[in-house]
Amino acid sequence: MAAYNTNQPGDRLFAYLTLTPAAFLVVLLVLVPSIVVVVNSFQSVGLGATSGPFVGFDNYQNALADSTFFMALRNTFVWVFGSVAFEMLLGLGVALMLHRSFKGRGLARVIVLTPYLLPTIVAILVWRYMFNDLVGIVNALLLQTGIISRPILWLNSPDTAMMTVILVGTWKYTPFVVIAILGILQSIPQEQYEAATIDGASQWQQFWRITLPHILPVFLLTALLRTIWAFQKFDIIYILTGGGPLDATTTLPILIYLKAFVDFDVGRAAAVAVILMIMLLILIGSYALLIRRSEEKHD
Amino acid sequence: MTDATTFAHPAGSRVRDADWLYTTTKRAMFYILVLTVVGLVGFPLLWMLISSFKTAAELYQSPPTFLPSQATIENYTELYWQSNFGFYLLNSIIVATATTVLALGIGSIAAYSLSRFDFAGLNAFAGLTLVCYMLPEVLIVIPLYSIVIWLGLADTLYALILTNTAMAMPLVLWFMRAYFRSVPRALEECAIIDGCTRFMAFRKVTLPLAVPGLVSVGMLCFNMAYNEYLFALIFTSTDTKKVLSVGLATWINQENIYSWGMLLAGAVQLTLFAMALYWIVQRSIAAGRLQGSLQGE
Repeated sequence: MAAYNTNQPGDRLFAYLTLTPAAFLVVLLVLVPSIVVVVNSFQSVGLGATSGPFVGFDNYQNALADSTFFMALRNTFVWVFGSVAFEMLLGLGVALMLHRSFKGRGLARVIVLTPYLLPTIVAILVWRYMFNDLVGIVNALLLQTGIISRPILWLNSPDTAMMTVILVGTWKYTPFVVIAILGILQSIPQEQYEAATIDGASQWQQFWRITLPHILPVFLLTALLRTIWAFQKFDIIYILTGGGPLDATTTLPILIYLKAFVDFDVGRAAAVAVILMIMLLILIGSYALLIRRSEEKHD
Repeated sequence: MTDATTFAHPAGSRVRDADWLYTTTKRAMFYILVLTVVGLVGFPLLWMLISSFKTAAELYQSPPTFLPSQATIENYTELYWQSNFGFYLLNSIIVATATTVLALGIGSIAAYSLSRFDFAGLNAFAGLTLVCYMLPEVLIVIPLYSIVIWLGLADTLYALILTNTAMAMPLVLWFMRAYFRSVPRALEECAIIDGCTRFMAFRKVTLPLAVPGLVSVGMLCFNMAYNEYLFALIFTSTDTKKVLSVGLATWINQENIYSWGMLLAGAVQLTLFAMALYWIVQRSIAAGRLQGSLQGE
């Protein structure tokens, strides 16, 4: 950025000195553990230890032969793509809605934003209470209005648990998408719409030809971020269901936790963690390619 | 909008009335949509508030009532007298505040160096932190557990503060690096020419100008640390050392000991606390902008 060098004599020392604490923290508490995990995946390690006898690819073979692993894999995909799809679609719709000017828009925006600002534990708590099959308000309302005849078990049934978890996740994180899209919507010049209206373009055509291309980069980036974060999500699912019932909502992060801290098998947990990491890298890579391509088209 | 529709037409005002009906209906439907969305999103919060004032007996009624038949604040009082909620709240605030202060303190000056200098390894380090930021917590928590024990920090808040700071560091570094780059170098160069050391120039010239950025990242750090669950779950075991996210989560699974009422009362307070915090920060950012404009920047 600077065309000239304005460094002072003491600057080199300053730079390295000021970076040392940050480097120390990141290396010791993030980098080293990551490397240890990869190493552990090739060993037989118990909880509390950081090393053990070398076992080659045993942990990986074991993981891939385990039906719980594939269940967790499937659950992870359902959770990630289910909640991200809903969040992106709903987020887009709500953003478009909040983009129009109407009375009370400020208040509406604040209320719609609230789930995201809420501490996660609060969101989980409230929804668990509402989805309680006996005393929850959701079943009560559905029964009273006659939509269902028997209470739905929501979080307590393997069939509906994942759906319920996705619902809670969507409620909590859609506002993030709304903020991102609202931001970019506000940067589209109004003249384009006015010109299009004069030329006789319909609302749908205007959306498809003006709005969508304009928001596409931000839309894709938001989808990427949501996907990455959803893949790693532990607390929402774990506190809602603990991974159950009957492993119906156990995703890969939860599986890793259970293998390490319940089965005390760090080696196998590490193997699953490395697999998760590889999947994430592939995901990030392909999304990055997609975004770059969409940006090229836009220019 | 109506200009395009009031054209000359043999039917004249009849057409205008039809258009008026059309637009008004569309408007009404739009408002209904807005109300539905806001209602769906906001209902859980409203329900949480209403329910926190119900007695334990009424909360466990099936089917549930809507408004409390006997409003009570016993949930709120019991929360503090009969449980460790006070500890949880205090611990959460301590961890979040300490993390934010530490992350900003260490990170801001490091980010400054990253933004101004080009010495060997600096950019590589920045790239490394980005990779670290992408790593999931579940990946590193297992060895971290061993490291925490080895450092003698098991079951302490220090473990949480340090790990949360490390996780937040990449965010602070990248955000503030970008922010510092938008502050012109000339300002601190002047200070240096006038005899300041690099550090003094940073502290007296650059840092004050970066306060809005610090506030934004600080907010993010605080939020991250406040909500953090996995590390808190694994690194603390004594009940009085737990933070809110873990403490309340344990309660949820022990329904027979802790009532929904207390949980909801706790939830309401947390919500108010979070909202108050955001409101304060919003205000200070707005005030900061105003101040800046008054100084003629």
